[in-house]
Amino acid sequence: MLRYWPILAVVAALLPFASSSQFLVNLAMLTAFSALLGQGWNIACGFGGLTSFGHAVFFGIGAYAVAIMQTRFGINPWLGLPAAAILGAAAGAVLGAAAFRAGLRGSYFALVTLAFAEVFRILANSLDITKGGLGILIPLHPSLPNFQFADRRGAYALVLVLLAVAMGIAAWLRRSRFGARLVAVRENEDAAAALGIPLVRTKTQALALSGAVTATAGVLYAQMFLYVDPNIAFGAERSVEMLLVAMIGGAGTVWGPVLGAIVLHLIQDTARMLIDTPGFAPMLYGAILLAIIAFLPNGIAGLRLPRRRSAREEVRRA
Amino acid sequence: MTLRTTTRRSTLAAGAAAFAGLAMPAVLRAQPAGIKLGLIHPVTGPLAFSGNQCRIGGQMAIKDVNEAGGIKAMGGAKLEALLGDAQLKPELAASLVDQFAEAGAAGFTGCYASSLGLAATQAAAKYELPFSIDSGVADSLTSRGLANTFRLFPSASVCVNGAVDELEGLNKQAGGPVKTAVLVHENSEFGTTTANTLKEKLPGIGIKVLDVMAHATPTRDFTNVVLRIKEQKPDLVIISDYLNEYVLLIRTMVQQRVPSGIFSVFGGGFSLKFAKEQNEISEGVLDFNNWWNTKAPETAAFRKRLDAAGVATTYEVFFGYYAVKLLADAFERAGSADKKKVIPALAASTFYPDMLPYNPTKFANGQNEGAQGVGLQVQHADVKVVWPEKFADAKAVFPRAKG
Repeated sequence: MLRYWPILAVVAALLPFASSSQFLVNLAMLTAFSALLGQGWNIACGFGGLTSFGHAVFFGIGAYAVAIMQTRFGINPWLGLPAAAILGAAAGAVLGAAAFRAGLRGSYFALVTLAFAEVFRILANSLDITKGGLGILIPLHPSLPNFQFADRRGAYALVLVLLAVAMGIAAWLRRSRFGARLVAVRENEDAAAALGIPLVRTKTQALALSGAVTATAGVLYAQMFLYVDPNIAFGAERSVEMLLVAMIGGAGTVWGPVLGAIVLHLIQDTARMLIDTPGFAPMLYGAILLAIIAFLPNGIAGLRLPRRRSAREEVRRA
Repeated sequence: MTLRTTTRRSTLAAGAAAFAGLAMPAVLRAQPAGIKLGLIHPVTGPLAFSGNQCRIGGQMAIKDVNEAGGIKAMGGAKLEALLGDAQLKPELAASLVDQFAEAGAAGFTGCYASSLGLAATQAAAKYELPFSIDSGVADSLTSRGLANTFRLFPSASVCVNGAVDELEGLNKQAGGPVKTAVLVHENSEFGTTTANTLKEKLPGIGIKVLDVMAHATPTRDFTNVVLRIKEQKPDLVIISDYLNEYVLLIRTMVQQRVPSGIFSVFGGGFSLKFAKEQNEISEGVLDFNNWWNTKAPETAAFRKRLDAAGVATTYEVFFGYYAVKLLADAFERAGSADKKKVIPALAASTFYPDMLPYNPTKFANGQNEGAQGVGLQVQHADVKVVWPEKFADAKAVFPRAKG
C-alpha cells in the first residue's frame, strides 16, 4: 500500500477541483504554494547543503519583475513567468559566484544571503521603479490571458503545475550526475574537491536553479494577490517559511517540502479555525514545530515505516 | 344537548388549534436568521494593538445593534460576528474572506492595514459581498473600481491635504513664523506617501522643505537623524511614523534640545496616553490625524463605556464601531442582507457617524467624501482638537514653544 502513496498524494491534490468550496481550494492552493517555496529552497539547500536564510530575495525578484513589467511596460504577465525565472537564476548565479569564490560557507554564507535579501528590501524601499515603500498595485482584471483567476481553482492548477516541475527538478537531482555532485559537495566539500568536483561552479549552478524556481513562486504570489511591497517581497518571514517547510518535511528529499507544507498548514489552519483566542494559534503552532524539530531531526520524510524485505534481500542477508 | 356542547367545545378546540397553527409561523418569524459579519483584523503580530481596537469597536457595534432590536426591517434579525486574525499576511486575509463567505457572511469589515485590506476587498469582490473598510488609509483601497468596497473614513490623501490646509491656516494666523521644514518619515507605504505629498505641497503654502529623511521600522536610535535636523535649523519638523519610532524621535529631539516646532501627520504614537504619560515631551506637539468629535454628546458616554471595559480610547475603536454600523444601516434600508440590495444601499448611504468630526456623508466610488482628519495638539497633558474651527475645542499654540 505504501508504495502507492505518491499516487494517493496526486489524487488528494486533485480532489479540491471537485469541490465547490473556494475556501478549501484556497487552503489547498496555499499549501501547494508553500510546498513550491520549500522546494525552491530545497534544491540548493536541501540537496546542496547550502544554508540560505535569505531566499526571499529570489521570491521578491520574481514578484517585482512581473509587477514592474506589466504596470510600467505593459508586458503580458505570462511573459513575466520565464523572465522572472531568468532573473531569479541570474541573481542566484551572481550571489553564488560572489560568495563561493570568496570561500564563504556555512553560517557565513547564511549571513550573506540574509544581508542580500535585506539589501534588496532597502533598494525596493528606495527606488522609483519599485515605487518605494508604496509598493506596486497590479490592476484587477480577472481573465486567463491576464494571468488572473476569478476562480481559485485556476490559480491552484497553475501552482500544482509549477510544483510538479519543481518536484521533477528535485527528482532529476536525485538521479543525475549533477545531483550526485551536489550531494557529494553537501556531504564533504573537501572530499568532493579532491574528487575533482568544481565546488564553486556546482554550488553556483544549484543556487541559480533554486533562484529560478523560487522566483516563479514570486510571480504566482504577485498575480494572486495583486500587490507587492518591500516587506511582502523581501521580508525575512518568507525566507523562514521556505526553510521551515523543507526542514520539517525533510530537506534533500523530493517529497519533503510537500509533506512539510501539508503538516504546517494543517496545524496552522486548524488551530486558526478552532481557536478564537488571539495569539493561541501561533503559540500552538510554535510548540508543535518545536516538537517536530526535536523528535524528527530528519523531517517527516525521515520517518519511514519498516519495509518488507524482498526475497532477493532475504537471500543476500542469509 | 350533549352533542351541541360537544360540538361547541370541539369548535373551540379546533379554533384554538387553528389559531395556534397560524400563530406558530409568526413565532418562528419573530426569530429570524442571524446576519453574519466577518471582522478581519491583525490581532496578533506587530499591529495587534490597533487591530484589536478595531475588533473591539466592531463587537461593540454588533452588541448595540442587537440590543436595540436587531435589523428591524428584517424582523429584528441579529448580527453575528465571525472573527478572523489576518496577522500581517495578505494571503491570510484573503483566505479568511473565503472561509467566512462560505460560512454565510453577508458582509465584512476590516482590516486596519492597507496591505491586508487590498487583498481582502479583492477576495470579497469575487463573491460580490460588501466590504466596509475600517482603518486602512491607502487611496488605492477605493480607487480600484471595486463595487463592493466602501470607506466611511478618510483616505491618506484627504488627511494629508487637510494637514497642509491646517498648516497654512495656523501659519497665517500666527503671522507666518514657519518658513522651513524637515520631513522625517518611516519608509513603508504610509510614511512614504505622506512625505511625498507634503514635499510636493508645502512649497505652495510658503514652506521650504530643507530635507526629507526616511528611516526603517523599527529604528531604535534617532541620534544621527536628530543631529542632522539640528544642523539644518528648520522652523518645523514634520513626522510620519508608527508608534515606537514616533515617541522615540520626539524624545530624542527634546533631549537634544532641538528648537523646532513639531508637527506630525498620522503620528502613530499620538494618543491620550502619550499626552498624559509622557507630557514632558508631548506638550505642545501638533498632529493631524483621525480622531473623534469631542463636542458630540454621544462621545462622552461612549468613552465612559470604554473606560469601564478597560479599553483605551483610540480612534480605531470608533472606526471599527462605525464600519459595522454602516453595514447595519445598509441592511436596515435594504430590508435584506442580500448583497444585490445591500451594495446599492451602501452606495446611496448618507449614514452619519455622530461621534466623528465629519461633514455629511456622501459616497463617491466607495469613498465617503465627507470624511476628514482633524488638527490636534497636546495641551495641559490632554489632546485638544484645534482644527477645523467647527470641531475645535481649543485654540492652537503654533508653532510649539521652543525649548
